[in-house]
Amino acid sequence: MTGAPHGLSRRRFTLAAALLAAGCAAPHQGTGRPNDPIVLTLLSHYASGELKAALQGPVDEWNATHDRVKVRTKAVEFNDLLTTFMVRQAAGQGADILQPYCLWNGQLVRAGVLRPAPPEDAAEITRGYGAAAAGSASVGGKVYGYPTEAQTYALYYNKRLLRESGVTHPPRTWRELEDTAYRTTRRDRYGNTLVQGFGLSTYDESTTVGQTLALLNAAGGTFVSGDGRRTAIDSAAGRAVLDLERRLVSSGASEPGVNVYKAFQSGQVAMVISAGWWTGSLKAQMGDAYRDVAVAPVPVPELGAKPATLATGFMLGVNASSQHPREAWEFLRWLNTDRVGVGKGATVTRMSALQVSVGSLTGRADDMRTLLGKGGDPNLRPFLDALGYAVPEPNVPGAQQAKSLLRKNVEALWTGQQSVDESLRTIRRQVDREVSRSW
Amino acid sequence: MVNALTPETTARPPRPRSAGPARTAVGPRARARRHQAVVAYLFLAPVLLFFAVFLILPLGFALLLSMSHWAGFHLGDIQPAGLDNFTSLFAGGSTFLTPVLTNTLLFALGTVALALAGSVLVATCVDNLRFQGLWRTLYLLPIVTTVVAVGNVWKYMYEPGGLVNGALNAVGLDSVAFLQDPDTALPAVVVVQAWASVGTAILILTAGLKSIPESYYEAAALDGAGPVTVFWRITLPLLRPALLFVCVTQFITGLQSFALIIVMTRGGPGDATNVAALEMYRQAFSYGDWGTASAAAFVLFVVILLVTLAQLWIFRRKGEDA
Amino acid sequence: MIRRRFPWLSYLLVVTGAVLTVVPFLDMVMTSFKGPGESGTLPYRFLPEAFDLSNYRAAVDQLDLPVLFRNSVVATTVINASVLLTSSLAGYALAKLRFPGRDFIFRLVLSTMMFPPFLFFVPHFLILVHWPLAGGNDLLGRGGAGLTVSIVALVMPFLVNGFGIFLMRQFMVSIPDEVLEAARIDGAGEFAVWWRIVVPQTRPVMVTLGLLTFVDAWNEYIWALLVSTANPDVMTLPVGIQMLQDYVDPTRTMPIVMAGLVLSILPVLMLFLLLQRHYVRGIMLSGLK
Repeated sequence: MTGAPHGLSRRRFTLAAALLAAGCAAPHQGTGRPNDPIVLTLLSHYASGELKAALQGPVDEWNATHDRVKVRTKAVEFNDLLTTFMVRQAAGQGADILQPYCLWNGQLVRAGVLRPAPPEDAAEITRGYGAAAAGSASVGGKVYGYPTEAQTYALYYNKRLLRESGVTHPPRTWRELEDTAYRTTRRDRYGNTLVQGFGLSTYDESTTVGQTLALLNAAGGTFVSGDGRRTAIDSAAGRAVLDLERRLVSSGASEPGVNVYKAFQSGQVAMVISAGWWTGSLKAQMGDAYRDVAVAPVPVPELGAKPATLATGFMLGVNASSQHPREAWEFLRWLNTDRVGVGKGATVTRMSALQVSVGSLTGRADDMRTLLGKGGDPNLRPFLDALGYAVPEPNVPGAQQAKSLLRKNVEALWTGQQSVDESLRTIRRQVDREVSRSW
Repeated sequence: MVNALTPETTARPPRPRSAGPARTAVGPRARARRHQAVVAYLFLAPVLLFFAVFLILPLGFALLLSMSHWAGFHLGDIQPAGLDNFTSLFAGGSTFLTPVLTNTLLFALGTVALALAGSVLVATCVDNLRFQGLWRTLYLLPIVTTVVAVGNVWKYMYEPGGLVNGALNAVGLDSVAFLQDPDTALPAVVVVQAWASVGTAILILTAGLKSIPESYYEAAALDGAGPVTVFWRITLPLLRPALLFVCVTQFITGLQSFALIIVMTRGGPGDATNVAALEMYRQAFSYGDWGTASAAAFVLFVVILLVTLAQLWIFRRKGEDA
Repeated sequence: MIRRRFPWLSYLLVVTGAVLTVVPFLDMVMTSFKGPGESGTLPYRFLPEAFDLSNYRAAVDQLDLPVLFRNSVVATTVINASVLLTSSLAGYALAKLRFPGRDFIFRLVLSTMMFPPFLFFVPHFLILVHWPLAGGNDLLGRGGAGLTVSIVALVMPFLVNGFGIFLMRQFMVSIPDEVLEAARIDGAGEFAVWWRIVVPQTRPVMVTLGLLTFVDAWNEYIWALLVSTANPDVMTLPVGIQMLQDYVDPTRTMPIVMAGLVLSILPVLMLFLLLQRHYVRGIMLSGLK
């Protein structure tokens, strides 16, 4: 929303409008004259850098090849995205096409922001995407949009640090995870931590909650019950996860106050659970040291247990108050289902190509295999495999609040402000109250 | 508060030529008075219109919303909810009472205590120095600067490589992660709010000090009273009205302000610096829960009212004792 | 007396306090000159290695400064003009005219100062959204964006100020009635009396009120943030600079933000330093409430 990027897109748009509609000022929706193009706005968090460029590419291609419908991108930072959706919707200025974080879908559907996908799109989405991705894009059994960026959680580890501690393979069970964490932890003689065995980090919400929920899912638990009306974390699996985290922190194998993103890059963390998007930035920032980085599935409590982890994601949906829903879905279909060639007769969707170009995944496993087979980073494989078994982040109304409450309580546990029992009790009380609201 | 009414403006007939014969008659006088009333309401029209639309209407609307469920954007979707929003703010598992409302009170209390102590000290000291204008101008700088500047400068100074930690390291102390540690985040923000509000307090206290008659001090000096005695027995009691004003206004500001917190911490880490007005803002504009937001606003309003009345009461009682 | 017997102690306290007040501003200015990798690194250094203007250039590039400045200036000017005009008009009526309901209205004006602004946040926003016949709305305020599409939204809630009316009224009470009477006898209407006699006599207090209003309006953040979230075209300087943080290269973020801040607070700082006498008087008068 700052001047430069915004000014740029405005200039670009003005150019397009000037070229196409002879002398007609059409700031938002077109003037309604039959020959004017319809202008659809798309609001996402692809606000800067390569993400912005990656999205602008296909949008420019659409605008160059379609005369009747034009697309104009708008972006804000992720931290401001939900507030921007809500405020603009309240002000009657909601964009035609929205890219929400799937966690918010319940809230947005309840508030009447999102429009259900037309039957043919809904069918395409359930057929073409993994269960976790399609599930995140659905609320109450109805599909609301095309999954775009899909993230699963897996275990990043530093091969060198494990090797130096005599560990030959990444942990597969929680017992191995704990052993490896303790063995790899290093301190100097003053007691300052040089290497954390396992990087639990309070750095941001998705780190705190992501790690905890990935372990919870791996233990067979879920955060919110099937009907979405209460939390299911106060269970044996939930207790096991919080116990494990508490042991790691109190033994000094984890230092939650450290920014794990920086520490892992500089070889100060042996293992950490994080999402697939991180591979791209690690590769870019670590240089040669990236060869030490490897990824394994999230360890399960016992050998032989069914693998599971957390999946999160974004989707592209259409605003319920858009004047041109038909055109908006037409654009989304072009972006998310039409296939373009990527050499040797292989084809993928534009969205898949876009996501992989910035080091992310999409919910389309077949596209991902095609693209990763062509010299992609092998570290992305475990994330791709996880698409098949990951559990989608709950997206009931109140899910954002529930996630914040979970984060606060996990932080309080890690910093020793409350015990495992207290944490479980408080999470249950607070989250139940939040998600059980009837309206 | 309301000043005595001004002397009655003599009503005069609008035109001199009708003055003569009609001087004793009721008609023209009444007409003139009516004319003046019409003119007065014309002068007041913009203000009254504004208050109707931006004061009375919003108050009614907020009251309605606070007793409704409304998660949407169409006025027609508003559903009556009685006192649900209020009870759920205080229900088990709600974070509104603790930590949010507690934080709010701690934030206001800390700010007032720091700003009051600082301003009393500086105002009494500055009163007898040269270049008083210069000092007061310097102390006013934070007030005329936008909260975005104040918040960012301090946020940056609190960082590991910032000025505050630089100073700590220079005297051999360890760095503190002021805004990242839940235990230090609220005090750190309180210091900034107090720093930014001390200038106004100094000005008002200075005005109060100037109104204390010099003869009191001279009498005290003749009695051989020490400086501490003079401060406690003369300066502070006579400064009471100014102190009350500073206390009340700063408390009100402290209880409702959240711009600094948005800029510095966004309420984090966790809920460590979350305050009621910020929670209201989020409930409304992030979660679209207008009802809960309005209920929270009214609860905070009542808190402010109670705190203000309590201060007035305490100050008045002290005054009677003295 | 502390101040009589220990002047050095007074000086020490006042100077220490003043240093604590000014140093953050100096740190802001110094940081705005620091080059990449120079800020946020250990050990902390107060002075930049060189007085490099590149952060200012980057701030100007990153921000649509002309638009931000224009929005801030327009909003501040409109608010100021409206507050001065309405306060003077209403103050005159309350001070010098007799009419039924005067006490009630004066009390209403005083009471408006007691309502905290956050109480009005949600309703003000919704009222602007549902403003009839604006921004595509129908007569019942449905269907469009209301006033949030225009810069009007930025200024609306601040157009009248209870404190301003109170301040004007208090000053006008002391204007002698004879002067007004004389003008009325000369055939001047009430409007002419107000314009030709009252307004010139209240010029000093107008400067004070104008300055207070200017500082508040220029620095306003929360409402501007909300309105700019709905419509980025009306973004003001504080909001724009706060947004800057999210965008640029992390090692240079703070210096660039500081450069933007220096640019944005300069106008208000200059005006304050020029007219600070009036500002000081305004704050002291506010203690009269």
